[in-house]
Amino acid sequence: MKFKDYYEILGVPRNAAQDDVKHAYRRLARKYHPDVSKDPDAEARFKELGEAYTVLKDPEKRAAYDQMGSQWKTGQDFQPPPGWDAGFEFSGGDFGAGLGGDHSDFFEALFGRHAKAGQRAHMRAQGRDHHAKVLIDLADAYHGARRGISLRMPVLDAQGRVTMQERTLEVGIPKGIHAGQHLRLAGQGAPGLGGGAAGDLYLEIAFKPDPQFRADGRDVYVNLPLAPWEAALGAAVTAPTPEGEVQLTIPPGSAAGRLLRLKSRGIPGKPPGDLDVTLGIALPPADSDAARDAYRAMAKAFDFNPRAPKKG
Amino acid sequence: MSRTDMTLVQWPVVEEDLRLTLVELCQACSAEEEHVLAWVLEGVLEPAGASPQDWTFGGESLRRARLALRLSRDLEINPPGVALALDLLDEIAALRARLQRAGVD
Repeated sequence: MKFKDYYEILGVPRNAAQDDVKHAYRRLARKYHPDVSKDPDAEARFKELGEAYTVLKDPEKRAAYDQMGSQWKTGQDFQPPPGWDAGFEFSGGDFGAGLGGDHSDFFEALFGRHAKAGQRAHMRAQGRDHHAKVLIDLADAYHGARRGISLRMPVLDAQGRVTMQERTLEVGIPKGIHAGQHLRLAGQGAPGLGGGAAGDLYLEIAFKPDPQFRADGRDVYVNLPLAPWEAALGAAVTAPTPEGEVQLTIPPGSAAGRLLRLKSRGIPGKPPGDLDVTLGIALPPADSDAARDAYRAMAKAFDFNPRAPKKG
Repeated sequence: MSRTDMTLVQWPVVEEDLRLTLVELCQACSAEEEHVLAWVLEGVLEPAGASPQDWTFGGESLRRARLALRLSRDLEINPPGVALALDLLDEIAALRARLQRAGVD
């Protein structure tokens, strides 16, 4: 297990006042919040910040953590000394959302077993609703699909400890679904307490990154490169779509960036999305005498200055 | 609690097929009712119906309410701040979509 320096993570000195801890957390949390930040590491950074703040904002946990001493550095191998928290009382319960399955091993080893406090009430209650994100192919949204989905969820064992349980669900992906939408799987969330009904499971749909297509809602976008003569003279070309190739007529005089909108060729639905094809022009390489001659002939044939001031 | 085998059911798409009551929305987001009430007052969520007991929320409210909850909990923002943040995030998303449409992403 690796030591985590919670002071370093929040960028505050070990003697920082509680208010400084709070402000440092807020400032960094705004910067790395996954809903706000575009930073690719945002989610990991944010989790780390949350964990650091959970410990340092709570005077009891902070005092216990401080007791470990200041000689430890982030990433060092670490085992909590036996009885490290003797003499400390934890009020427990306040571990933010969920069951704490998101915390690092380091955090779990120090504070994890206190998480059970307040979680076990002897009453009848509906189980919590759970959320998970699933990645599907864009083609699945066009045709519908059947997908096996592996989920890990934190559960409390008989001793009240948090463990991760893995399970697999077969889920029907309905045709027409798109990124950001949710499926509700009734009764597939956390089990109820004392005979209460199980909670529901919400699956948020996201598309796997695709080298060719991008989607926004039901609209789908693709770039289509053309040879200069195809763009200039017009052509019949084959264009890729998520449901296979289509024949496309390129009008003569098409400039780079021209948009051909294929109505209702986006993700199906009511109304269906469109497929927007953005034309690009690719230049053949001048890598042989014949090719260079062809370019020279073009230069001679055109009185063409692409940098000439625009008229009007 | 092994539930690995289940026959294939067509589950509803929240945004297309469902409207949620106040209780369902709170349960789905693990949010307190008072938070949802405050967000409705600030216009973050717009339910149909006259009183909280009759309210139904469109399926897209699920995403908004979860986002509102995360922002208010993680960044310690009050409801007017959450409303402002959501408006700005919506605007950024719309602008990004326009950039993408223009092929400049």
